[in-house]
Amino acid sequence: MPIDLKLFGDLRKKADPKVLGTLPLRLKINDPEITWVADILRKYKIEDNEVSHIFVNGIYAGLKKSVKPGDKVSLFPRNMGLLYKWYFKREEDE
Amino acid sequence: MPKRILRVNMNNLEAKFEDLPGDYAALGGRGMTSTIVAKEVPPTCNPLGPHNKLVFAPGIVTGTAAPSSGRISVGGKSPLTGGIKEANAGTPFSQMVARMRIGAIIVEGKHEGDDYYLLKVTMDGGEFINANKWAGKGLYSVYKDLFKQFGDKVGICGVGIAAELLGGNSGVCFGDPEGLPSRYAGRGGLGAVMASKGLKFIVVDETGAPGVEIANQEVFKAGIKKLRDALTSHDVTKPGGALNSYGTSVLVNIINEAGGLPQRNFSSGQDERAEKVSGEAKAEEVKKRGGTRPHFCNPGCIIQCSEVWTKPNGKDPVGVLEYESVWALGPNSGIYDLDDIGELNRACNDLGCDTIEAGGTLGVAMEGGLIKFGDAKGALKLIEEIRHKTPTGRIIAQGTEITGKVLGVTRIPTVKGQSLPAYDPRAIKGIGVTYATTPMGADHTAGYAIAPEILGVGGTLDPMDPKKAEVSRNLQLATAAVDASGYCLFIAFAILDIPEGLEGVVESLNGVLGANLTVADVAPIGKSIIDIELEFNKKAGFTPIHDRLPEFFIEEKLPPHNTVFDVPDADLDSVF
Repeated sequence: MPIDLKLFGDLRKKADPKVLGTLPLRLKINDPEITWVADILRKYKIEDNEVSHIFVNGIYAGLKKSVKPGDKVSLFPRNMGLLYKWYFKREEDE
Repeated sequence: MPKRILRVNMNNLEAKFEDLPGDYAALGGRGMTSTIVAKEVPPTCNPLGPHNKLVFAPGIVTGTAAPSSGRISVGGKSPLTGGIKEANAGTPFSQMVARMRIGAIIVEGKHEGDDYYLLKVTMDGGEFINANKWAGKGLYSVYKDLFKQFGDKVGICGVGIAAELLGGNSGVCFGDPEGLPSRYAGRGGLGAVMASKGLKFIVVDETGAPGVEIANQEVFKAGIKKLRDALTSHDVTKPGGALNSYGTSVLVNIINEAGGLPQRNFSSGQDERAEKVSGEAKAEEVKKRGGTRPHFCNPGCIIQCSEVWTKPNGKDPVGVLEYESVWALGPNSGIYDLDDIGELNRACNDLGCDTIEAGGTLGVAMEGGLIKFGDAKGALKLIEEIRHKTPTGRIIAQGTEITGKVLGVTRIPTVKGQSLPAYDPRAIKGIGVTYATTPMGADHTAGYAIAPEILGVGGTLDPMDPKKAEVSRNLQLATAAVDASGYCLFIAFAILDIPEGLEGVVESLNGVLGANLTVADVAPIGKSIIDIELEFNKKAGFTPIHDRLPEFFIEEKLPPHNTVFDVPDADLDSVF
């Protein structure tokens, strides 16, 4: 079962430079080397500071949150960082 | 010229300037409105009777060169909550009133008979003009008429048909910089208070206004420079930042992903269709249509989170579609089309309705079977019943709680009679504590916009953790202080991360007031305001049982996290 990844805003261009419209880009990741959220960022050459919000299965998370097949991961770019980034603790596993 | 109060007696249609009492000199915005309401309004009075008063007050720095500071507070006893109310808006009207050195406009009494009046305010005083010809008409056409009659340099405030029905779902409407009736001090039914007195419009003409007196220009200028630097460098508030690029609707996708975006009368916290009404989608459509984005609600705003939404052909501007409005008239009603939402928002602006209360009302009307969830045409028809003053329209105009009760709905999302905004308290529990305990009734702005770190609470929070009393209290205190300053609440995002920005805010207040406040004074200022409001509410009959969320939030699990609101009552009671 793949990891369901959603990239929002400008982060979509990291996976598809020609992306059009405004809906998030949905990707399915089947990669046994992906263990952490940070691995997903590396896979798409996304720098840590290019991301504001990370949600794993709807939980506000950090780079050290573990991910497994079947998880839903959402990444928001830096210029969409409102609310969660400022108030809430990122859940991490390490 | 010292600051003045304009006292408007609707019994005999008299408007006179008075000296501002010395102990009001350091007050502004919510601090001014709540102080005057608490002092002059009997807490047990009928909100729509002759003893209630409606108070308008610009903030302390409003009308100056301070960035993002064009807020005006409107206060009174709320017909929706039965308690004290402050609602605020960003509008050029506020800046004009401040530059005229009017610290507050107090509207009192109640005109006998069925006539409506317009109050024209100049430096010399007030003049009443019969406004019957504008009664029963939509505010878009009336505001055009008023600007034509009084000139395009005036500021306008008014109430719509929903207020004529004395609806709890009626706001006080201010013009935006283009004159559109789209900037609302919307919450709590204060529009009905204004209409109940026979007052439909206030037009301010600032010709000859001396401007805001600044006690110490040097301190003031240094302060606003620090704040300006913070706002223009922070990711949320800078040009090209989150608010500037996408408006407040940037939150649609974020809160939806977090599982806290209420759908279909708070029955779920997530729906993929919400992506179609996101801030990104809206910003792109505005660009395509030739609308305006970014846009400011008052001159001098750096953040510029506003916009002008139009029809697909780029015509018939609505004004801004805020996050809360998009949510209320969209996902909460099962509607996922921006044009449908835009037309519902247009109807709310035209009729003088609060969009949050209107969306909450649609949600319970749909749950009660009046129309189906997702029926956008039916929703518009239902709101339009207000225009025709039909029995159904009169019920809808009263808001979520009354409409829900009339229809036999038990899942009514209100606190103290006021509809909940766009964050489900089962997924974001701290906001739930604020909804329950703020003196205002369910209000998202009452306590989420200042980060805990500023207030010395330390650390960030788990949104699912029910231990939120202290955080909510501190957020509410800080928010009350910002509401008094005249600054937009959104400056909080920048001054959270950039300490010099917060220092700049305090220095700008010192510059205007000639005071020596420090950052440590922010929370005590907020506390003094909330203490006044809580005391008023206590005298009006409020007890701890009014500081509770509706039962279904405690018992009904919210998908996708399947959580309930589990903050213990004792914690809610410990907030204040």
